[in-house]
Amino acid sequence: MADVRSLEYPTLKVPYELLNKKFRAAQKHVDREVSHVQAAALELERVLHGDIVGASDISRLLGGMVEKLQVLKRKADESISEELEAAYVCKRRLEHLREHAASNGPVTSSSTTGTVNLWRKRRLDRMLVEYFLRRGYYGAATRLAHRSDLRDLTNIDVFLISREVEQSLAQHETSKCLEWCYDNRSKLRKLKSTMEFNLRIQEFVELVKADKRMDAVRHARKYFTIFEDEQLQDVQHCMALLAFPTNTELSPYKELLDGSRWERLIEQFRQDNYRLFQLASQSVFTVALQAGLSALKTPQCYSNSRDSRNPSCPVCQDSFNELAQPLPFAHCSQSRLVCTISGLPLNEHNLPMMLPNGYVYGEKALEQMANENNSQIICPKTKEVYPFKKLEKVFVM
Amino acid sequence: MESISGVEREIDKVLSKFSGVKEHADRVLEDLMRNTESLKNEIDLVPPGHELTAAQIVILRQTMNKIRDTVHRIASEHRDLHSTVSKVGKAIDRSFVADFASTSREDVFSGSDKVQLLNQVICQHFYRQGMLDIADELAQEAGLKMEDGGKEPFSELNRILDSLKQRDLSPALEWAQSHRESLDTQNSSLEFKLHRLQFIDLIQRGHTGQAEAIHYARTHFQQFINKHEKEIQSLMGMFLFLPNGINSSPYSRLLEPNLWVEIYDVFTRDACSLLGLSVDSPLSVCINAGCTALPALLNIKQVMQQRQVTGIWNGKDELPIEIDLGQDSRYHSVFACPILRQQSTESNPPMRLICGHVISRDALNKLSNGNKLKCPYCPVEQNPSDARHIFF
Repeated sequence: MADVRSLEYPTLKVPYELLNKKFRAAQKHVDREVSHVQAAALELERVLHGDIVGASDISRLLGGMVEKLQVLKRKADESISEELEAAYVCKRRLEHLREHAASNGPVTSSSTTGTVNLWRKRRLDRMLVEYFLRRGYYGAATRLAHRSDLRDLTNIDVFLISREVEQSLAQHETSKCLEWCYDNRSKLRKLKSTMEFNLRIQEFVELVKADKRMDAVRHARKYFTIFEDEQLQDVQHCMALLAFPTNTELSPYKELLDGSRWERLIEQFRQDNYRLFQLASQSVFTVALQAGLSALKTPQCYSNSRDSRNPSCPVCQDSFNELAQPLPFAHCSQSRLVCTISGLPLNEHNLPMMLPNGYVYGEKALEQMANENNSQIICPKTKEVYPFKKLEKVFVM
Repeated sequence: MESISGVEREIDKVLSKFSGVKEHADRVLEDLMRNTESLKNEIDLVPPGHELTAAQIVILRQTMNKIRDTVHRIASEHRDLHSTVSKVGKAIDRSFVADFASTSREDVFSGSDKVQLLNQVICQHFYRQGMLDIADELAQEAGLKMEDGGKEPFSELNRILDSLKQRDLSPALEWAQSHRESLDTQNSSLEFKLHRLQFIDLIQRGHTGQAEAIHYARTHFQQFINKHEKEIQSLMGMFLFLPNGINSSPYSRLLEPNLWVEIYDVFTRDACSLLGLSVDSPLSVCINAGCTALPALLNIKQVMQQRQVTGIWNGKDELPIEIDLGQDSRYHSVFACPILRQQSTESNPPMRLICGHVISRDALNKLSNGNKLKCPYCPVEQNPSDARHIFF
């Protein structure tokens, strides 16, 4: 269960943030429609206070009231349905996590190991979908989510929205991203995001590049004044840009004019979007992979002699070997010995035995070899041949 | 488990409260609309140009008051739900770990060559899983060049496994026959198990399949008599119960569907070891190991932070604690010196003393006094130079 606790935070937090967002939007809609109804009621009361109360006026106003009530009803209905929808997403994910808890229960028959493995396979697929999304491999992500039926369990929709923004930024357009900034304005302010400011600067820079310096000044007047407090220095740099030619070699103006600033904007957008949904800066996949590689990494995996590598060990495989290079080794304070012939553990039921050349194997495998080989032992590593009775016991504490 | 239930409780509250508010708002607004509508109809009866009576005005006023009160209440009812919603968030924060990345380093998998390596690993994983389309899509999007050779062994295996899933044994049998010799040296009973399933399939057809089943047994079972005599006997025993139905016989276990699950696993295991591949996808092994290791690592990290000893673990040399991944994930013998509590290395290898006890060379040097050494585990005294360097 501990793994669910440690790894599934984003699985639940993202739909919660969506629910929260839906709630705020719904409250706004309801409040607005309520205020319309209130205004209509006040209007009618005002007319009632008048000296002459015409029946046709009242009838018209009442008609308007019915309409407004209808709109309120529809809006309330729609908004609350959306909220419920968002809450159900949370609920479905919880149920999925609960399956894992159930399959980890005390019953351990072959069918439950089957379900555990199935659940783990889906978990890996979920992690991979998220990893693909973060890397921007949207095609592979949607395909995998579709194939493994994971749409509800991954945050794919959130990322697909951000893909649109990223694409528009890649085409040097700011409008989509600005729209996103407005959508999430209050949250972004809480996170002290400089996204909008940087977008405005970029717009300014583009105007300077196009040599529309007057427009640039107008743009600056319109947008920079609200940011001034926090980013005074940046604004100063920007304004100084007006004095330089577009091919200047001077820092920081050269950097401002550089086209790679767009890529930085995309990167900033990604990071801000993660923070908005409380996603960590690393994906669960890479985090789990790192921990896993470390837990499996032994000095033998990096030994010079190929013999000590085990084809079943992931870290002994070339590409994983390279990936795990900078990671820490597993810690081991208690010996754990495995017979390299049979793969069985060496313990009191399968005593470790030493050949005269110093190599140690399990008693069981050696006995079998002796039985099949006329009481001769051939060391699998050095191919030396010894009689079975030359074996000596080894005691490992 | 509690962590899930805690959040689920809050979500259930959200669901029930929101449904309640929705229903209530629906009903109340419907009522208001009906009331207003009927008032309007009543007023419409008054001929145009006429004024309303005082009583009508009073009723209208009351209705307006009621409308204003009710809609106000709807808005505030909805607003009051905010605490219910935010409790979900708090429950998530409380019972799940937000900062799960604190033990890993971001730089490990950054850099374009590392990213490509990782993508390559993922591609291979999908080849193994038989999800070729996803692997291809990924390779294309990531600009990855996968060698065609990487696919082939997997596509054959996956084809066979797919037909096994459909309960079609023939491709698997064909494969097993063509690899009979190497399977034999592996001590694999794959071929027998495949024949057994085919036989059971025949015998299940009842009387019509009887002759065919006997024929099948005669042709195929002879070669296995050395290794599987007992099992062949019990397979033959099934004929006794054919008239009454095997389901109610002592042999009913042979009809269970998990034999098919088993053959699937047996085939994967034997075929993979024949081809020199690991049975499980290395990526899944790593991730599962990571999921086991991570909670422990996060815990120790937190404890270190509380005790302000973060400096001890820099995340570079060795993990700070031992993580038991279970017997299945032990691929190498690890010898930890029982005296120094350290893993052996090439410069500090395990040494077997004359009495059979094993300690590391460093410990041996520390314990020996001139040319005398007393074994730390038994009374034997010996010359330290008699100790043997051993290899696990």
